[in-house]
Formats: sequence, structure tokens, C-alpha cells
Amino acid sequence: MPYPGPAPSRRDFLGGLGTSFAGLALAAILHRDRVSLGAEAGWSPPDGKPHFPPKARSVIWLFMNGGVSHLETFDPKPELNRYAGKTIEATPYKSALDPKKLALSRVVVVNDANGQQRNTLFPTQVGFKKYGQSGIEVSDWLPRLGGCVDDLAVVRSIYTTDNNHGAQTQFHSGRHMLDGEFPNLGAWVHYGLGTLNDDLPQYVSIGHREYWNKSDGHYLGPEHDAVPIRVDPTSPLDYARPEGDLSTDEQRLGFSLVDRLDRLRGDSYPGDPALAARIKSYELAFRMQRSLPEALDFRGEPESTRGLYGLDDPASRPFGEQLLATRRLVERGVRFIQVQHGAGGAGVWDAHSGLRNNHAANCRKIDQPIAGLLIDLKRRGLLDETLVVFGTEFGRTPGSQGGDGRDHHIYGFTVWMAGGGLKRGVVHGATDEIGFHAVENRHYVTDIHATILHQLGLDSRRLELPGRKRLDIDHGQPIREILA
Amino acid sequence: MNRNGEGILARRSGGLALAVGLLAISSARAADRVDYARQVKPILTARCFACHGALKQESGLRVDTARAMLAGGEGGPAVVPGSAGESPLIDRVCGEGGDRMPPTSEGVGLAADQIAVLRAWIEQGARAPADETPEPDPRDHWAFRPPARPVVPPSPGGNPIDAFLAKRWVDQNLKPQPPAEKGIWLRRVTLDLIGVPPTDADRSAFEADRSPDACEKVVDRLLASPHHGERWGRHWLDVWRYSDWWGLGQELRNSQKHIWHWRDWVVESLNQDVGYDEMIRAMLAADEQTPNDLGRLRATGFLARPYFLFNRNTWLEEVVEHTGKAFLGLTLNCAKCHDHKYDPIGQPDYYRFRAFFEPYQLRTDVLPGSTDLDRDGLPRAFDGNPDAPTFLFIRGDERRPRKDRPIKPGLPALLAPEGITIEPVELPTEAASPGLRAFVVRDLLNEADARVKAARSAQSTALIRSAVASARSLVGSTQGPDLANVPAWILATRALESAESHRVSLRARADADRARAQNLPASALMARASKLARQAALAKAEEDLALAIFAAGKNESKKRDAARKAVEEARKRLDAPGDFYTPIAGARKSAESNVETAESKARRFPTTSTGRRSALARWIADRKNPLTARVAVNHVWMRHFGAPIVPTVADFGRKGTPPTHPELLDWLAVDFMEHGWSMKRLHRLIVTSDAYRRTSSARGADPATLAADPENRLYWRMNPTRMEAQVVRDSLLSLADSLDQTLGGPTVPTKDESSRRRSLYFFHSHNDYPKFLATFDDASVLECYRRSESIVPAQALALSNSKLALAMAGRIADQIARSKNPDFIRAAFERVLGEAPTSAERATCEQALAQWRVLLKARGLADPDQRAQVNLVQALLNHNDFVTIR
Repeated sequence: MPYPGPAPSRRDFLGGLGTSFAGLALAAILHRDRVSLGAEAGWSPPDGKPHFPPKARSVIWLFMNGGVSHLETFDPKPELNRYAGKTIEATPYKSALDPKKLALSRVVVVNDANGQQRNTLFPTQVGFKKYGQSGIEVSDWLPRLGGCVDDLAVVRSIYTTDNNHGAQTQFHSGRHMLDGEFPNLGAWVHYGLGTLNDDLPQYVSIGHREYWNKSDGHYLGPEHDAVPIRVDPTSPLDYARPEGDLSTDEQRLGFSLVDRLDRLRGDSYPGDPALAARIKSYELAFRMQRSLPEALDFRGEPESTRGLYGLDDPASRPFGEQLLATRRLVERGVRFIQVQHGAGGAGVWDAHSGLRNNHAANCRKIDQPIAGLLIDLKRRGLLDETLVVFGTEFGRTPGSQGGDGRDHHIYGFTVWMAGGGLKRGVVHGATDEIGFHAVENRHYVTDIHATILHQLGLDSRRLELPGRKRLDIDHGQPIREILA
Repeated sequence: MNRNGEGILARRSGGLALAVGLLAISSARAADRVDYARQVKPILTARCFACHGALKQESGLRVDTARAMLAGGEGGPAVVPGSAGESPLIDRVCGEGGDRMPPTSEGVGLAADQIAVLRAWIEQGARAPADETPEPDPRDHWAFRPPARPVVPPSPGGNPIDAFLAKRWVDQNLKPQPPAEKGIWLRRVTLDLIGVPPTDADRSAFEADRSPDACEKVVDRLLASPHHGERWGRHWLDVWRYSDWWGLGQELRNSQKHIWHWRDWVVESLNQDVGYDEMIRAMLAADEQTPNDLGRLRATGFLARPYFLFNRNTWLEEVVEHTGKAFLGLTLNCAKCHDHKYDPIGQPDYYRFRAFFEPYQLRTDVLPGSTDLDRDGLPRAFDGNPDAPTFLFIRGDERRPRKDRPIKPGLPALLAPEGITIEPVELPTEAASPGLRAFVVRDLLNEADARVKAARSAQSTALIRSAVASARSLVGSTQGPDLANVPAWILATRALESAESHRVSLRARADADRARAQNLPASALMARASKLARQAALAKAEEDLALAIFAAGKNESKKRDAARKAVEEARKRLDAPGDFYTPIAGARKSAESNVETAESKARRFPTTSTGRRSALARWIADRKNPLTARVAVNHVWMRHFGAPIVPTVADFGRKGTPPTHPELLDWLAVDFMEHGWSMKRLHRLIVTSDAYRRTSSARGADPATLAADPENRLYWRMNPTRMEAQVVRDSLLSLADSLDQTLGGPTVPTKDESSRRRSLYFFHSHNDYPKFLATFDDASVLECYRRSESIVPAQALALSNSKLALAMAGRIADQIARSKNPDFIRAAFERVLGEAPTSAERATCEQALAQWRVLLKARGLADPDQRAQVNLVQALLNHNDFVTIR
């Protein structure tokens, strides 16, 4: 008897359970009340359906660890070159140092060597060119991505408040490290929406995560943590295949036996929702065991596609493989994929010194892969329903650190998004002339979250749990100007 | 979009024009009669009651009844029936800026449709039920009144738990389910009390025991097992947020090293049935009550856990929040930025509570047998800054302290009407100067002796080698003596001198320390200690120089120069005036978070403790405290029955959910306190009840019962629960008789996946935890008053594929086969699931075994029978009822 495939007469046993991961998790927790569930009349967990018609189906969340300099990527500032070597006080832009504006910063590490004010302006370390019909300027270190600029909605006016790498968690959850740990965006999406594919986990994490950003679900529960995936079809995740001598045939019989025995227990324990959920979870596990390696197996990909993701260049290959895997997962119906770039220390983009070499090298690692991803999604018609985000914890200071680096900079930096029902080839918001403060259409990081949730058809206020009141700033506001 | 349109209109207009506009929009709605209770009151409850209800009456106004709104406050009536336009209530909720209610500091205003409801209700005459009752007085909240022992309802059984539960069944005409099979009860109680399933021997003994007190005997045996403390220790460590240290790389940022001593104290205390009141006192203030009892000092690991290197406020916020939630079921944390919205806890109360903890800091004391604090030591609390002031932060913002009004420790008046008495505690000498503890000096001297001994033997070896080598070279050569071995001899000599000098200096420091502590004439001893210490420093510098000189590497000249300089300086200091010396420390203070300064770093440990935490602990663990015992018995109940009596286990306040069985809860709480807060008595009471014995199955249940209470809120059957992560892993090991039964000790590194220690002993921090356990919803170290019980495919993969599960299946199958039990299937079922298979289950297993045999034979396996049996056991380990406590 092949597994899975419950005997038809037993189908009713699973009746009403739904077939989704979300449905599964719900069935398991329905009779529980981890948070004061039931304390509030009228509260019920999400039903997995969007609150209003969605524009996007999936999210690809690219996160650059360490802090990408906005000044050398997407936010050109000629005035930096003009006043290079001068202190900010000595320029017409000295109002940037207004203590009221600087009070935004909420310090974790007092007197840390990093995360300080850097007031001697450091010239832009790379040239910029206008690309595409939109003519948006992109740095010379990102020529391929420049070629995709007509698909991007570039937001140059993001700010955050943690001047250290705790801003990594802040970018994901919207909360400062000192507030504690809160569910991140992917977890909310996973909590709020049902599954697109029963055979695959719906919230996936690829790449190394630093100290500040280790987990996702928090008070939503560990079932809303992203499933960490390795881009390795032979071992895509923990316990993906028997860690011992057990053939597939043998194991299939085993799964089938477990299934039958569990169903027999249904006679002794009628109506037990946990039993029903467990039977379902084994079916899904069995299918996942097969479908994940298949999703991560690039053998069927033509040479041209491999080239598109930069797999032929050793510099871009690692990230290219991650993004090719990402596309294959999105294509198969994974809801939310977060890809972290740049492991080590506080993240490889953390260019306190030698910014020019650091960013030139790192840009080379990501330029072709991200451009490839966008092109590939677009030609497959997936970009319309997939929202791609390019984020980082903060920008870097207009002033120099140690003569050739830039420090952490929270007051204004750039994030871009593409696809998923957003405008294409637009710039929104701006920093001041020296790239210090976001001055036009300022957005806190949760506005990005709100934008994404809006495109997915979710209202974060309707996802709130009893006893877990969220603040207005946690919810943010969709950036309406970039919605198509 | 319509909603948004209205919202914009509401905000931009004002007064009458607005009223007209909105009326037009909501006219359709206004035609329907507004239901006050269903539509109006929930809006007011959610947004207005906190300031205009029972808790507070801002401007003398209450809006918790229609009557109160009509009566109004200082500004006159809030509502004019029939005229929304003239009703200040509407005016204010539509107001702008500073005029708006709720104020902007409370977030967004009411939504347009909510305002429309209020408006329509007023236009329709502001009618409400005549018998409408105001919000109850917070003082009457059930959890804030001390529990009194309720009368036990009459019942045939002897256990009050059953009597209280039965009363509700009678009231609601429910029929309970029969008891579970004996094997199921045995498995349930064994897993619940010691965290591993019964062994084959346990099962046969219980089956054979026909005496009326067979169950009681099992319970006694389990409660006497040292594994009981391990099982329940893990439960309480969830609540108390146990975590090993974590940080960035090697930098410790959270919690403390060696905090496992606290874990061992919890386990031991539970095994010894130390009263819960006494455990609370020890965790919060052992340093003040028993300052030299290192064993009991381990309890203050509770206060070491929230340590945070970078922010003292964050650290103390965690202490306040989780002391409140864990022991009191109070969400004190809600009053950090503003007065509590539901409970009678003002914002100043939050800071008063914090003030109990303001002076405390952490240090690691030397323990007997280990002089190296990096390897072992006791992390513990002490009042390091008795005078540290507490300030209220305006709107909770640490950058805005009210420095003009320092805050004294205190408690919310409603909960502690008698106030609290705080008396400073004089500490014994060794507590403030732990270097004086006899074992500290003894261990240091033993170590110094060992160093001297080793250096002496190294020197003789070097001497002999050198002598032998030069003798050989003299015999065999006409050249001079071979000096290749001389450096080794010089190094060894220097090392010996340094070791001896260190030993002498150590003794002198100890002598001087003792004399000073005993107030004896000490100046001569201090001078001697000072001199010998400087000599020891010189000897050490010379040893380092010798090492630098003879080091093999190139480019060592810098090091050599530095070493030479160090020797010169040490020599200069030899004759410098003063008799300063460093007393033997015996402890190392943890950095005082971001408030550490050079001065605080050098400060000596105070000889007096403020007594604040002792006073707080006494109040929390006092019989008069209405919350403490209730919160604790609720936690215990939940972990036996799979459902709490008070669903909001960490919030017994007015926002929490009331108990399903208030009398039962109170009876248990009072009984608990009246019997020395004994946990074991409470466990015994619960697990010997009929309620605990009942089947968790709804099969054959009375249809009316099933329809009336499908969620089993009234315990007409038992609740099945999923094993916690630790129990899953420990049970796998235990079923295969492979569990290492060693108790206590340092943590097992997470990379040591093949360890057979109980899961409790694994390293477990925010960033480093065993992945197998994480799969089964292991406790979050940040907050875990109740474990999650998810059912996800990752669990299926872990049990199907992990080396652990596969290896244990092999062992279990092997053991059963070797036992020569003729009925393998039955034996496997009983071992893994605690009961015999039904005939249908047996048939299914036989069929599967046959299929495996065919498959394995075709693959040419030597012993297909054996392999098929392993696969069968492996399947049973994946059975729903293996991970389920039925």
C-alpha cells in the first residue's frame, strides 16, 4: 500500500481539518490558550484568508547583514565630494547635527567604538550612472542591478533607531532590541495566511543569521519560525533523510504503518484534534522529504539560467545558488523566503574601514544574482505576484571613520522593493544633500512591513492577539505612493 | 475605502458641520436600533474605562454605565439623550489634538464607524438596561482577595478535588468518563512525575499489585525518585526563565556563566520538598538571609538570569516583569510607561517595585575545589550599590528620569495595605570579603604548593638532562661543553623561584587579610604582605623575561624589550613606599551593565545589605498574599491536567481570565499554604484523584455532556497532552534503557548530540540550544509560562530520521528480542505505548512485518526478521500515542 493515501472510509476522520500548514497548526492550538485566548470575546485565530484582495502572493526578503552604504549604492550625493574632508559644521548642512534630530538614536552599547557620530565628510567611493527609462541612478558597483532599475521602487528615506547591529532584529520585527523580542514580518505573514503548497514549508530562511536575528515566531509560537534550509539537495534541512541505514522502501512502509495505527486510534479516541493533526503532519513530512530535495536540485536548469544567477563566477556563485533556490521555491508556492547575505562578525557589509574594497567586493557577490533573480522572475511572469525586498539594518555615515570607512547610520538609508503590485522605476523619499537625514517622506522600518502586508491583503491590526497589544508604530503605514 | 473616507472627514471637520456630515453617512445605520450592550459598551470598555471607570475617574467622570454618563462629571453630563450634537462625549471623541478622547498618547482615536454607533445610540435616546451594573471595584477582584478555605461539597470520594469537580457536573448535568486502563494511568503518572515512561518491571509490579493502595504506592515511589526533581525542575525553570549565558562570540551579554548551579538547586530543593515559600525567599534574597550558605546562595541564580551587559534598565525591567508574572501573576510591566489600564497599579508602583532590586548586582564567588572562576564558580546576587536611587521615567523613557523625586521601595497599596518593613542586614565578614572563606585560602595554597612541586621536579629534570648532555659532549668531543640544555634549566629555575615567591606571598596576604578582618593589629602583616607581593611580582616578571629570551621564534625582540621593562618596573616598585597589597578576592563582580565605572569596579563589597529583597520575598511568600499560592497551584494543576484553572497563567489581574473552578483553586491554594507550601503534597493530592485517573477518550461519552462541554472545561474526562521536548528525548533514551541517570553538574554542550544525559542538562540559551528539542517546542528562555504544543512536520522528520530515534528503536527491538518474549508485538506496544495492542492493531503490525520481511529478504539481508522488528519499534516511536501523554 503506497503511502500517503488514507483509506477512503477514513477520510471523514480528517473532515474539517483543512489541508494547509496553517490549518494544521491551528487545529493543534485551537483547544489551547497559550495567550489568553478566549479571554476576549469575539477573538478568533486567523482563518488563513487575506483580509482584502491581495496583489502579491509571495515575498522574497533579501537582507544584507552589516549595513549597506546607501551613499555607494542607491543614493548618490555629489555634495559629499564637494565638501569632502570638511566637517559637517563647516558646510551649509550643519543643521544635520541638530541634537533634536540626533535624539532619534536609542543606544544599546554606551561608548561603543562604533555607532558614533562621524563628522568629517567622506567622498563617495564610486561613480553613479543613470539607468533605464526611469533614469534612476545606481552605483557603478551594481551595473546589473542598474539594468533592472525600471522594475524597482527605491525608497531613499528609511530610518531606524538602533545605532548598533541590534538594528538587524529591528528591521525584521520593527522593535528596538531593548524592547525585547517580537515576531518578525515573515512570522506574521505565516501566521496570517494559509499555504500555497502542502508539500513545502511556507516560511523558509536561507543563509546565516547573526547574533541579533536568530528566530522569528516569538510570541506567535515556534511553529511560525522560518524553516532554515540549506541549498543542498542531499541535506536541505535537519532530519530531512534517515541518519542511518534505512531504505526509502522500508521507510515508506513505516510511514504507512504509522498512518494506519494512528487511524485505528481514532476509534479509541474519537474527535481528538491532535491525533488528526498528527496524521496530517506525517503525510506532509513524507511529502516534504521528497519535494524539498527536488526543489533544490538545479540539474534541470539550463546553462543560460545558471549564468543569469552568476553561478559561473566564484564571487557570485554562493549567493546566486541561494537565489536560484529561492526562485524555485517561490515557483513551487513557498510564501515567504528570507535570504540573508553576508555572514561573519556583525555582517560582511559592516565597512568601518576599507569601505571601497569591502563594498566593491560585496556588490560583486550580489549584483548578478539579484539582477538574475529579477529577470528570471519577470520572464516567468512571477514578478507580478512576488514582492522582492532589498533591505539592510542601516546605512552608513556620510562622515568617515578611520579615514577610509563609514560607521553605522540610522537617520536615513535606502531600501528597495520590486514586483508584487508596486510601481516600477520610481524613487520615493529623499535624504538631505549629504545623505544624513531622511527629509522627504520619512519612513520607519515598519512602513516597509505595512506595505508588504498590504500587498498580501493583510491588515496587521486584525492579526493582533489578545493580551499582546501592539503600538501604532509596530503596525506602520503602507507607503501608498509606491503602490501601483 | 468608505471607512477611511469617513475617518478623514471626522478628523478634519469639527463640531456641527461634522455632525451633519456623519449623520448623512450613517443614516442607514442609524435606522437600525443600536444594541447598547453589544455595540456601545464594548467600545467604551476597550477605549475609555481605564480612565473613566472603576479604576480611575478622570474629571470625576465614569462611563461604565449609561446612568453614570448621564450624571456626568466635573464638566456636566457626558451624554444628552436624543442629541448627539449636544453630547460632550461625541464632541470629545471627534475632537482634534489635545481635545480628543482618548488622548493622542493612547494611540489612534475611535474609528468612524465606532463614533457612528455612539452617535446613533445617543440619537436614539441613549437607552440602556435598567439593571445595568457599574464596573466592579478593583478591590473586589477575586484574585486580590485572600483565599479562604471553601467548604468541600459533600461527595462519596475522599479527595476534595473530585468533590469540587463533581459539584459542577451535578449543576450542569454532566456525566464523567470512566477511569483509564491501569497501564495508561501508570504511564501518565510516571511521565508526569519523573519525565520518563515506566519500565517493563514497573508495569509488571503494578499489574501484579492487587492491594487497594497500589496507586498510592506508585505515587510514593515516583515522588521519592530523584528524577522527580529533574522533571519538575524543568517545569519551574520554564517559569523562571532558566538560560545559560549568551552573547556575541565569546563576549557574555546575557545571563551568567555557571548558572547551572541554580538549576541544581531547583532540582535538589524539589526533591527535598523544600516549601515553595522558602524557595521564593531563597531565590530573591538568600544572600541576605544565609550569606555564607553557598548551597542556598545558588538560588539567587534567579536574579543572575536577567543580567544584560548593555543596559541596566532592560535588566531591571526583566526582573520586575518576571518577578511579577512568575510569583504574583501580575503584569507589573504594563505600568512602566503609564498607570496600569486594568489593575490598581500606578506608574509609581512600577518604580517602587523596581526599587527593591535597584541596589543589587552580581558576582561570581569562588567555590570549594576550584580557584579558576572561568571554569567554575557561583553566580549570585548581592546588594552592590545600597544607595543607588530609583527614578520614575516619564512615559517609561529612560532618558527622562524624574530626578527631583527619588522613589522608595514599596508595593501597590491595594495588595499590601499594611505596607512593608525593610530592615538592613549586617553581613558576616566572609560574605563581604569572600577571600576570607577558609577553603578559598586553602585551595589557593594547595594550588601554589602544587605549582612549586611541579616547578621543582621540572627543574631537577632539566638539571639532569643538562648534566648528562654536557658530560656526553665532554667525552665525545674536544670542543667545549654542550650548553643546549642550559636554557631549559634556567627557565625551570626561574619558574620555581616565581612559584615559591607566589606561595610565600599568598600566605602573607592571607595572614594580613585575617588580621584585618578580626580587627587585630595588622600594619606589620600588611607591610609584609605588601613586600612579599612585590617580590612575587618581580619573580614572575623575571620568569616572563626568561621565557621571552629563550623563546624560539624570530621577531621576539619587542616582547623581550617589554619583558625587560616589566622587570625594571617590578624592581623599582620593590622599594616604593606604602604597604598596599591586593587582598585575596574570593569573588569576581560582573560588570554593572552600562553603569559600570572605574569607581564602581574598584568598590569593595558592602558589609551591609539593604534588606529590600528580603522584605519583598517575605511579602510574596506570606500566607496573606492573595496571589502567590493561587498562581503556583495553577501552574502545577496545568502541568498535570493539560489545562489551567486560570487560563491566563501569568495574569491574574482584571484583564486575565477568571478561574473555571474558583473554589477548587482557593481550596488548593489554602491547603498548599497550610501544609508548608509542600509541592509533593500537592502532586499527591492531584495524581491520586479520580479526576486524574479518568480516560482522556470521549468514546462512549454521554452525548449531552459532549454537547454541553466539548472542550472539556469541566474535566469530565482527562486531557491528553503532548510530551514536552525534554520528555520526548528522555523517553526515547529511557525506553532503550540508555538514559544516563547522573544527577546535576555542568551543562552538556549542544554539539554533544550523542550524550545520554537527561535533556535538562543540555546547554540552553537564547542562541544555543539542542535542535532536536527545539523541534518539539522547547521553552523560550525569554518567556515561557506555558509551553506551545505545535504539531508540525518537522517533528515527524525528527522522530523518523534522527540518529537518536533510529538507534533507540534498534536497541529496544534488540532488548525485547533478547528477553525471549514470544509476543514481540505486544511487548513492543507495552514498552512504547504503555498498553497492549488491540486485535486490529496487531493484525496491522503483522501485515507490516510480513511486508518488510519480503522486502528485506529480496534485498538479501541476513536477518530480515530482526530488521523488520526494528522497523516496527521505529514505527511505534512515531505513533501519536508515543509523544502523547494519554
